[in-house]
Amino acid sequence: MNTLPLSAIRVVDLSHSWAGPHCTRLLADFGAEVIKVEYPRRLCLLRGSVKEGGAYNRHPAWFQVNRNKLSITLDLTIERDRAVLTDLVRISDVLVENSRTGVMEKLGFGYSDLVKIREDLIVLAMPAFGHTGPYASYAGYGAMMEALGGIQSLTAYESGGKPYRIKELDVTNGVAGACAVLTALVYRQRTGKGQRIELSQLEAASHALIGEHLLEFMMKGTHPPAQGNRHRVFAPQGCYRCKGEDKWVTLTVRSEEEWRTLCEVIGHPGWASDPRFATRENRIRRHNELDAVIEGWTMQLTHYEAMEILQRRGIPAGAVLDVRDLGGDPHLKGRGYFLAEGGRGESLFMGAPFRLSGSQPEVRWRGPDLGAHNRDVACGLLGRPQAECRPVDEADIGTAYDPA
Amino acid sequence: VVDLTHYIAGPYCTKLLAGFGAEVIKVERPRVGDKMRGMGPFYRDEESLECSLPFLWLNTGKRSITLDLKKEKGVAVLKHLVSQADLVVENFSPGVMARLGLSYEVLREVKRGLVMASISNFGQNSVYRDYKAEEMQLYAMSGAMHLTGDPNRPPLAAGSRVCQYTAGLHAYLATLMALLRRDITGEGAFVDISIQESALENIEIALTNGLQAGNASKRAKHPFVPWDLYECQDGYSVITLMPARNAHRAKEIFKDPRLFDERFAHGRGRMEDRMEYEDLLRAELRGHRKGPIFEAGQARGLAFGSLVTLAEAAESPQHVARGFFEEIDHPAVGRQRYCGAPFRMSRTPWQTDRAPLLGEHNWAVYEGVLEYSYEEMGRLMAEEVI
Repeated sequence: MNTLPLSAIRVVDLSHSWAGPHCTRLLADFGAEVIKVEYPRRLCLLRGSVKEGGAYNRHPAWFQVNRNKLSITLDLTIERDRAVLTDLVRISDVLVENSRTGVMEKLGFGYSDLVKIREDLIVLAMPAFGHTGPYASYAGYGAMMEALGGIQSLTAYESGGKPYRIKELDVTNGVAGACAVLTALVYRQRTGKGQRIELSQLEAASHALIGEHLLEFMMKGTHPPAQGNRHRVFAPQGCYRCKGEDKWVTLTVRSEEEWRTLCEVIGHPGWASDPRFATRENRIRRHNELDAVIEGWTMQLTHYEAMEILQRRGIPAGAVLDVRDLGGDPHLKGRGYFLAEGGRGESLFMGAPFRLSGSQPEVRWRGPDLGAHNRDVACGLLGRPQAECRPVDEADIGTAYDPA
Repeated sequence: VVDLTHYIAGPYCTKLLAGFGAEVIKVERPRVGDKMRGMGPFYRDEESLECSLPFLWLNTGKRSITLDLKKEKGVAVLKHLVSQADLVVENFSPGVMARLGLSYEVLREVKRGLVMASISNFGQNSVYRDYKAEEMQLYAMSGAMHLTGDPNRPPLAAGSRVCQYTAGLHAYLATLMALLRRDITGEGAFVDISIQESALENIEIALTNGLQAGNASKRAKHPFVPWDLYECQDGYSVITLMPARNAHRAKEIFKDPRLFDERFAHGRGRMEDRMEYEDLLRAELRGHRKGPIFEAGQARGLAFGSLVTLAEAAESPQHVARGFFEEIDHPAVGRQRYCGAPFRMSRTPWQTDRAPLLGEHNWAVYEGVLEYSYEEMGRLMAEEVI
């Protein structure tokens, strides 16, 4: 039997871009009816910069982040559309938004307005930097938060080198948002009460990505140095070139036993008893020398071959998989990870991030075209007059890329 | 919550559960504890079980008991504990729980409606099930590493243990979903969390474009121009011209009029002549300082930022004004500042409490919760079960 845990939950999704929609995608994947409210005059970033010919309905990225949802278009500056949202809130459990601080209030849908419409509503706001503090009204995307939070400072090829993004923030914040909604749903189930949640994306990402590093700074007063591909304690660790273009394998040696095994595997059994490499400290000191020899071995193999040989001997080794590798990866196939839309056809969709017994993850549908459910929601679900149910008019559409 | 986790992913999940009010009982090996207790960095470089910084971060708000699960008596005690629990979270290697006689099939007979979450590197079955991995391998095998770094250099590992923390978040989400469903149907659940699959979410856009449009992934700049770190006088600025409707306001900040050539008015034009535009922008930025230009951009509605160190983040005016850091006292390391709530809930606020000492709550749990007598406790200690 397939019982999706959120099948009785309705979510109004006013969010856009990536973090907010990722949050509601997780809710939709696990059964919630997520009604995405889109503003036609400024489409979501992921709907692209071209409106002609329905191009905004052709971006795989947008659909991935909005799969299993419904879409309606509303212009909340128009009274009639405001009434639709009001009716929708009245029959919904959760509202998610990631507008800049103050925007919802200006539209007349601040928290105090929303709870007048539905008392036990759960409202998740996901502002970039929070609703208070000097940055409250600042605009932010992942690139700002990763830099301003100190997260980016940890990822560089060498200490003092240019830091690189790991780009995970939107997803981290989306998952954290879903965690917050579930926390509130469990509480509501026990008490009947809704609540207000404020998720500062700067804070949630700092918590989940560098909480331990911030604590280290607080306690020791020192900045952990950027390590590149090396480990602070274990050695050797690195990313080594393999056969083929841009193919690599990573490995980490954590113990003397793993070190001795590695020496055998790469054809230098004598090194296992060589005092120059006898301790981690020595190996860290001679890391460049080791890297050259290890790479000499990996270059003769594909990244999968190197990984398999090392793993068979118990050494942590991982091929640097690109998206094509992942699409054909035997392990993920064996796990039945990839999904097909409606369970039929090619498995071209990502699976779920976790498996819950009794709840088969599904891509029920790939996601909605812009305003695909205007009629179903306004006339069907809310019982509003047919005359109010308009199809999307391309002349009204603007994209997020249009200059002023 | 009976918490059988160690290291990172599992403890982050149960840290969140504890912070939002669950009673989390962390079960640790006698004398050794969670292996993270033995891993640095340490407070004042003291290699003691109570001074590991990552442990102190990952185990706030929990209670600690010691129990030897390799002893038959230990397994019996654990079952007793599970009989009073809603949730078991574990992240042993796949197969270990079954070998200990503590598989989900066994434990759900011990407690009706039990939810059990198992977190592992690659999930409970298939080809890589028993593969070994540290964070770097997880980052590599979840596709993110291939996208990180410079196209002319090797893929670059993340400075954060992002895959394991992401799995902790997903585990929290999954267990709450299972508890919500249990409250409706009465049925428990087994949750299988593969850190690899959980981390694939982080590249969902690149992976979907690969699966559905056949795009290759590469280490490349962000497609939008500008959207990067640019070197300025005293560090790096983050410059975007988003939201696009505010892009023209950059005229009040950048001095070089060529940046506002007609060709560059729309993002598409800037993408077409990326090299030329970015050269102009880099030259422009050399005349600015990171703090003032960040503020000047934001004052005009532009998403600008600046690259800060952890030292600057620790004193960030935004964090300070919002009280993001909370002081926690701990007998071994004293009062220290930790990140507080990951998100702020009006009715179920985050609770901050320190990490436990090893076995600190043996009496409270064995005597208080399981109601073992003084004599029974003595026996368990003598037999080194606890």
